[in-house]
Amino acid sequence: MMAYAVALPLVAAFLLPVLHNASRWLGILVGPAALVAVLLVVFQSWQPAVLPFAMDLGGFAPPWGITFYVDALALLFCGAVALMTLLLWPRDEGDGDADALVRRRSLTLLLAAAAAGLALSGDLFNIYVFYELAAVASYGLAAERGTPAAYAAAFRYLMLSALGSVIALAGIAIIYFETGTLNLAHLSLLAGELQGPTGMAAFLCLLVGFGVKAELFPVNAWVPEVYGVTTRRTAGLLAGLVSKLAVLVLVRLLVLVFPQEGLRDALLLLGVLGLIGGELAAWKARDMTRMLAFSSIGQLGLVFVAFSLPGTAGLVAGIVVAVHHMVLKPGLFLLAGQWGGGLRGLAGAARRAPLAGLLFVLFALSLVGLPPLPGFWAKFLVLTGLAGQGGGLGWLAMVAILVATVLEVSYLFRLAGRLYSRGDDEVPAAATGGGTVTAGVFGALVVAAVVFAPALWDEVQDMGAGAGDAALYVRTVGPMVPTMISGGAP
Amino acid sequence: MDAYIGPLLFLGAAGLLAIGVVGMLLSNHLFRMVLALVIAEAGVNLMLVLAGYRWDAVAPILQPGVAAQPMVDPIPQALVLTAIVIGVGVQALALTLVIRIREAYGTLDMAEVRARMEVDVAAAGGGEATGSRERPAGGRPLPGPGALPEPPR
Repeated sequence: MMAYAVALPLVAAFLLPVLHNASRWLGILVGPAALVAVLLVVFQSWQPAVLPFAMDLGGFAPPWGITFYVDALALLFCGAVALMTLLLWPRDEGDGDADALVRRRSLTLLLAAAAAGLALSGDLFNIYVFYELAAVASYGLAAERGTPAAYAAAFRYLMLSALGSVIALAGIAIIYFETGTLNLAHLSLLAGELQGPTGMAAFLCLLVGFGVKAELFPVNAWVPEVYGVTTRRTAGLLAGLVSKLAVLVLVRLLVLVFPQEGLRDALLLLGVLGLIGGELAAWKARDMTRMLAFSSIGQLGLVFVAFSLPGTAGLVAGIVVAVHHMVLKPGLFLLAGQWGGGLRGLAGAARRAPLAGLLFVLFALSLVGLPPLPGFWAKFLVLTGLAGQGGGLGWLAMVAILVATVLEVSYLFRLAGRLYSRGDDEVPAAATGGGTVTAGVFGALVVAAVVFAPALWDEVQDMGAGAGDAALYVRTVGPMVPTMISGGAP
Repeated sequence: MDAYIGPLLFLGAAGLLAIGVVGMLLSNHLFRMVLALVIAEAGVNLMLVLAGYRWDAVAPILQPGVAAQPMVDPIPQALVLTAIVIGVGVQALALTLVIRIREAYGTLDMAEVRARMEVDVAAAGGGEATGSRERPAGGRPLPGPGALPEPPR
């Protein structure tokens, strides 16, 4: 049943251009219909009694067949994929013809299918294929505007991402050479063979490869360029959603295959560097889009810091930070699309659009971490986790988070102050329509998180405990047949 | 002979990968970057094939009436086929973008393309361009679109 989460958007992506030619209304409806169907499938599967379960695609048993592993975390991300894609569904931006819009919607559906696949797949090579599918769709979306700068940014993004993919594939080759399998559950059983320096090299290859989409520190040069040339909806989708799916893949690898301590330290260090670098660049940025792009790098750094914490506490903190950023960042990008322009031109914008201004302040407060907004709990969980862990790196990370918070306060409230200042009321920023309403939905999600905090807390605790249980994963996927390499003759 | 050829091929694969990666990082020419990507992908594909290869084995095909022998692991070969297909698609897309960039900016020099892009992105964002490595803030303004020679048709 869960395979539909991948299949429906994929089929819809290829049918959309054809259906659009047959009937305009069919073309408009098929994408959202597929995404709503995915949401229904996710809701139907969300029964604590049956979770987690595994599916063998095509009836081939693991380790040769491809496994889809469905637990609460995977379902959460599948549901988020469908919901975010629906909310950020490409609209007519008034700059392209109808065909460009169809192509954009088709690529967005492709991205949704690949993202759902990343959330579900339990096979390393299958994950690589879905990752490449998401990458190709996002290259297309990066170039969607068709301006020279969009082509240049898309090319630079493609080169960096392809470099990462090649390195990740080398990591996969190393893992296959060492263990003879690529099924995550099977790899978890054979994790002992990946303890040495070879296994470490393989993980670092995968970290660099999947880190490109996750805006990890050394490989995130594409972020400000791509978000600067795409529509704000696409930027929100890439920053909010796709980056988190890449993080999810890395977390699964850490939990199942690479439980070594040293690797967590590497993740923590890269996260701290991304956090500080991103926030400093955001503080320096002079237009809202790039300010948000750099701050997204910083927030992803915080996500990596959270997931580097050991045990269930780290997973819980990571899930909270990741979901918080997933809701906030698209909302902020939509507001940026509404206003556009450099920071200087935004004086008094909030007094012309009171609701948008209010939403910006809400998002800013939550991002900074004012209680009782969810951003407070996110940072609180990471800080308590780091304090509990102690050690030099832990303290370094705590200082980094506090410095980053000061920077966030500085640049976000500098902007908020400008939004409410008595501007010289020149030309009001052109409204593209619909952005504030969608941003309002994200704002409502933030408020709902405050209201339902206790219930959500229990849910996240269960989710983290389930996702951190490698033995449960292996048990659920089922017994493994011995590999052919060790067996010799068939 | 057979004892040497395995490590030799591995070294070759790693060398191709290294040449490609270094080429992508150091090259300043758009088309050479694509070529470096092709080389790196070839290297990593060779590495994957070698991961499952056995020198004393036959092709993994079961035939009636023929006794089963040790066979080459077919899984890496299937993986490599997929990787090649993905690679070709990405390379084609990269070349398309190279053509579009050349048409728009009239150059294949990465530093120049990047500087022009930074200016365009900043203009689209409504702010002024912040400094970059190739174009430090406060430097000489870049020539406008008409100042560069037209690409030969």
